[in-house]
Amino acid sequence: MSNVLEIRNLTKKFGDFIAVDNMSLAVREGEIFGFLGANGAGKSTTINMISSLLRSTKGEIDLLGKNIAKNAKFAKSNIGVVPQDLAIYEDMTAYENVSFFAGLYGLRGEQLKERTVEALEFVGLGDKHKAYPKNFSGGMKRRLNIACAIAHRPKLIIMDEPTVGIDPQSRNYILNSVRKLNDMGCTIIYTSHYMEEVEEICTRIAIVDHGKIIAEGTKEQLKAIITDTKDIWIGIKSEDEIKVESLKQIPGVATVRIEDQMVMINSKAEVNNLNQIIQQLIRDRAEIRSVEEQAPNLETVFLTLTGRNLRD
Amino acid sequence: MNEILWLVRKTLRSTFRKKSSWLVFIGLPLIGVLVSMLLYGSFNGQPLRVGIVNADGDQALTQDAIQFIQGLDQVKITLMDDETLRSDIAAGKLDTGIRFGAGFGESLGAGRPADVQVLSVKGASVTAYVKAMLNDYLGNVASIAQSVQGDKAAFDRLYEAYRQSSFKVSAETLEDTSHVKDMTYQSLGFLIAFMMFSSVNLTELILKEKENRTFLRLLSSPVSARTYVLSNVLVNLFVIVIQIVATLFFMKNVFHIDSGIPTGELITVLLLFGLAAISLSLLIVAFAKTTASAGALSNLIVTPTCLLAGCYFPMDIMPDAVKRISNFLPQHWLLDTVNKLQHGEAFGSLYLNLAILLAFAAAFALIAIYRFGRNNDTRLFV
Ligand SMILES: Nc1ncnc2c1ncn2[C@@H]1O[C@H](COP(=O)(O)OP(=O)(O)OP(=O)(O)O)[C@@H](O)[C@H]1O
Ligand SMILES: [Mg+2]
Repeated sequence: MSNVLEIRNLTKKFGDFIAVDNMSLAVREGEIFGFLGANGAGKSTTINMISSLLRSTKGEIDLLGKNIAKNAKFAKSNIGVVPQDLAIYEDMTAYENVSFFAGLYGLRGEQLKERTVEALEFVGLGDKHKAYPKNFSGGMKRRLNIACAIAHRPKLIIMDEPTVGIDPQSRNYILNSVRKLNDMGCTIIYTSHYMEEVEEICTRIAIVDHGKIIAEGTKEQLKAIITDTKDIWIGIKSEDEIKVESLKQIPGVATVRIEDQMVMINSKAEVNNLNQIIQQLIRDRAEIRSVEEQAPNLETVFLTLTGRNLRD
Repeated sequence: MNEILWLVRKTLRSTFRKKSSWLVFIGLPLIGVLVSMLLYGSFNGQPLRVGIVNADGDQALTQDAIQFIQGLDQVKITLMDDETLRSDIAAGKLDTGIRFGAGFGESLGAGRPADVQVLSVKGASVTAYVKAMLNDYLGNVASIAQSVQGDKAAFDRLYEAYRQSSFKVSAETLEDTSHVKDMTYQSLGFLIAFMMFSSVNLTELILKEKENRTFLRLLSSPVSARTYVLSNVLVNLFVIVIQIVATLFFMKNVFHIDSGIPTGELITVLLLFGLAAISLSLLIVAFAKTTASAGALSNLIVTPTCLLAGCYFPMDIMPDAVKRISNFLPQHWLLDTVNKLQHGEAFGSLYLNLAILLAFAAAFALIAIYRFGRNNDTRLFV
């Protein structure tokens, strides 16, 4: 498989601040490549450089084997960007929006019509040609935002958090469309704050932190990085009583999170400390409902590697 | 090229889809013409009422003189007797009265017109026009009579020729009054003020695209920032041409104000000014970060400078200091050019004015481009 995108030693500085730090990366044809990182990790900045919106401070980007700085038009025509922030005209109909943006890629006449209709159909707005986005729900706007990026059939589609703040139904629709686009031969770069999404659809994942890629691989490969840890999930009745600090004192315990009546503890695999943990919880008068030992998931991988939660 | 047209088409479409745009971009300049007419057009709105007493009977030359007056634009004549003339003038039913005494025709044919009186109660300015036209006419007929030295046949021939031509030119000479000049000046003053405002409005679309993020999407397509700005300038030019043509058309064909300047020349200078207006808008947009600040900035710049340059009222009433300041404003140079053209200066001799207008356009554009370039570090900005 050839590389659709290749990034070498990419750096972007804003003044003294280093937003992207000597990043190297290759995305292969046919992949759905997940870009995972907390707020401010540098995902959008990287994407903006790939889509020629930002000049890199250092480093190179090749698209389909051609340097994008030297072949800007070629690169731009082969990429479709779904920006993080909605970029659609509220005072133009859904059809006009898609048709206008597709036209910028040189499509005209019958072909333009076909592709526009197709793209709208694809995101489930086939019956909304004449509607204005100002009357759309958040999810519909997001879908239109996607349609505007795909009508010209780019080789590489970059989606920057396309599911932010929308209803589950629209989200499913979008995730399915991503898979369909991929089946049709598009290579996709997908960033998200939602671990489940990335875990569900991405074939390969890079974890970005402070502008650097700190881990890269398939889900399995990433999880294998932390075989030396285990996750203990303990269901409790009330979160009020739990003293996180005293749990952290227990030998082997690395991180403790409490969420939805669940105490999630990441601990060294070789230390047998389950008894101690449960005793501590009982001492805190927690009513224990369930105890599970989990294989590490991506969330733990992320937390272990970056020391922070994906979402704040 | 194709790209640019695609962008231009979209901008024009979504702009003129809104009804308010038609009012702002095309309606306002026309309203400007209308307002100018109301300000200066008392004369134009109502015809001059002229009462005529003919005590000279069927004399051909007298009848012709009366016809000549009747032929003047904006004049309505009524034939009456001495009594009515006096009372109607006193009652304000007439603006002017003219009395042709017995033997007037004969004296005119002899080259020494006598016994014609022009009366009025209103200020001299109202009657001056009729009086001047009549004097001119009579003077010419008299000089024909003198030149033929009693040769009746020669007189008839020359007189007939003169009559043909003088009746034709009368309409044109009429327009050459200060009223019409004022109206033209004022209409064009409003027009260029509106041109400036609408140009800022259109150029602000660049900022609006940035604000709603579509600008980034545009730039991630094969379109470059330069192409995009160029398309905006083209839209601007298009709208300005429409404004100019619509205004001049309405002035001439609907309101019958003849600027006294060949249309081609007038369009050329207005277009030159339009370029300066567009460059100024680019400059404003280059320095403003949001549409709100661009709007504020343009109000701060456009309104006062239009005022100082005399777009809203004639320069004559301004103090000298203001006149000097206005030398630094493009509006002044446009109005100055119009003024000079109206006073018969040849277009070719006004190259200094034209060059200054062009220089304004170039200077504004260069600063704007420089400023855009500074923003260009991130390519996110034009
Ligand atoms: N134009 C800019 N000028 C200065 N700093 C910037 C600029 N753009 C981004 N940054 C900074 O660079 C860092 C990376 O930002 P970026 O938008 O790439 O993060 P992200 O991973 O996309 O985050 P999020 O998940 O919030 O979208 C942030 O700290 C941000 O404040
Ligand atoms: Mg981002």
